[in-house]
Amino acid sequence: MKNIVFIQASPKINEPAVSQMFLEMAMDKFDESVFNKEYINVRQSISRHTQNNAFELLSRADAIIMAFPLYFFCLPGMLMSFLQDYSKFHQENNLQNNKTRIYAIVNCGFPEPQINLEAVRVIESFSRHIGSDFRFGIQIGGGPMMLSPHVMKAPFLKSTAQSLDKAFSVIAADVADENQISEKYINIEFNFSRRIYFFMAEKGWTSLAKRNGLSKKELYKKPY
Amino acid sequence: MKTLIIADEDFKTDTFHDLNEIIHGLLNDRGFETEVIEVGLQDLTFCKGCFSCWVKKPGECVMKDAASINRSFLNSDVTVYLSPVIFGQFSANIKNVIDRSLPNMLPFFYTRPDGSTAHPPRYDNYPRQIIIGYGEEISTEDRQLFLDITKKHRYNIDVLLYGGHHDDRNIIEAFNQINLAKIGDLS
Ligand SMILES: Cc1cc2nc3c(=O)[nH]c(=O)nc-3n(C[C@H](O)[C@H](O)[C@H](O)COP(=O)(O)O)c2cc1C
Repeated sequence: MKNIVFIQASPKINEPAVSQMFLEMAMDKFDESVFNKEYINVRQSISRHTQNNAFELLSRADAIIMAFPLYFFCLPGMLMSFLQDYSKFHQENNLQNNKTRIYAIVNCGFPEPQINLEAVRVIESFSRHIGSDFRFGIQIGGGPMMLSPHVMKAPFLKSTAQSLDKAFSVIAADVADENQISEKYINIEFNFSRRIYFFMAEKGWTSLAKRNGLSKKELYKKPY
Repeated sequence: MKTLIIADEDFKTDTFHDLNEIIHGLLNDRGFETEVIEVGLQDLTFCKGCFSCWVKKPGECVMKDAASINRSFLNSDVTVYLSPVIFGQFSANIKNVIDRSLPNMLPFFYTRPDGSTAHPPRYDNYPRQIIIGYGEEISTEDRQLFLDITKKHRYNIDVLLYGGHHDDRNIIEAFNQINLAKIGDLS
């Protein structure tokens, strides 16, 4: 049975993470009777000091699928720290996992999916450094849309939901060795107007502020 | 002129020391006042993506350990990041500094002249930012990736790479070309 390790690398603690949602969608594509599925939450593995267990899992993986948010056009510091430590573990234990297939699912807050490209390339570089086989990345723009389930059900987003579903199926097929891979960097954009997306974001921030007892004007504070 | 130098405490390699000496020399020659912040794993935790710095305590992180870095950053005329290049990216410690600078921007979106999205600045001006990536054997792919990560999405930023003594002259020449003064906007 192939070992598939799913890595959830959103640093969020109390809020729902978009990366978790995408990772679950990808996990659903893997049949339990055919694959042995393991799950790592990076933040928890760091806070509970169980990184070594996570690294053991990774070193035995046939495929690693990691989902994370874009932070300043590249990987969040938390994930960088985890991958740096894994690479060290890898070196110290003289591991060779050149057959491990690696996939990235990156989502960002801006609507344009292609800005996730450099983050996917970092995973590609990481794979090269540990001698693994980077396969491809799924780059999703406007990820926070997922946090509005009622919007996600809207008919005009059906095509977006279908492209997401298809992209995750492609990962599963590629892991199963069907070599479905067509592109290295798959862009997925929400079928939504930029103007409305910006407007919704602005409304979202001001209503969150209000809930915290702040006026819109107070969002512009300059403490330093 | 005030300069802030941000370095990674966990990657003080020979290459780092060579680079650090050059940069300090260049700043001393100009008579700049320099503050150095060396960030280790224990000094600064990672951003938890809670957005409290936008909607709860605007402009400030709710975790206290980033306050002094952000204050020093905004009070400097020039900030120089000395970052190891790892997998073509900033090291974790330097990336934590960058992630934790989110409060320095506003939550809203706008479209830049090239059609890309950005957040509006919170302040009227920012220090000039110079990012210097270093490492003994940075591959061609990782060099290019580091430049793309830093330059492709930002205006008003200078990025240099340093691989050891053979780059001494290049880095000095490139540094001397930079206008070492505050800039108007972050984006
Ligand atoms: C520190 C920080 C930096 C971010 N940088 C970017 C960015 O450069 N581009 C972007 O589109 N979104 C950026 N975002 C937004 C996140 O990518 C977005 O909210 C994402 O949906 C979070 O995913 P998660 O819920 O899985 O953590 C940033 C968020 C944080 C907290």
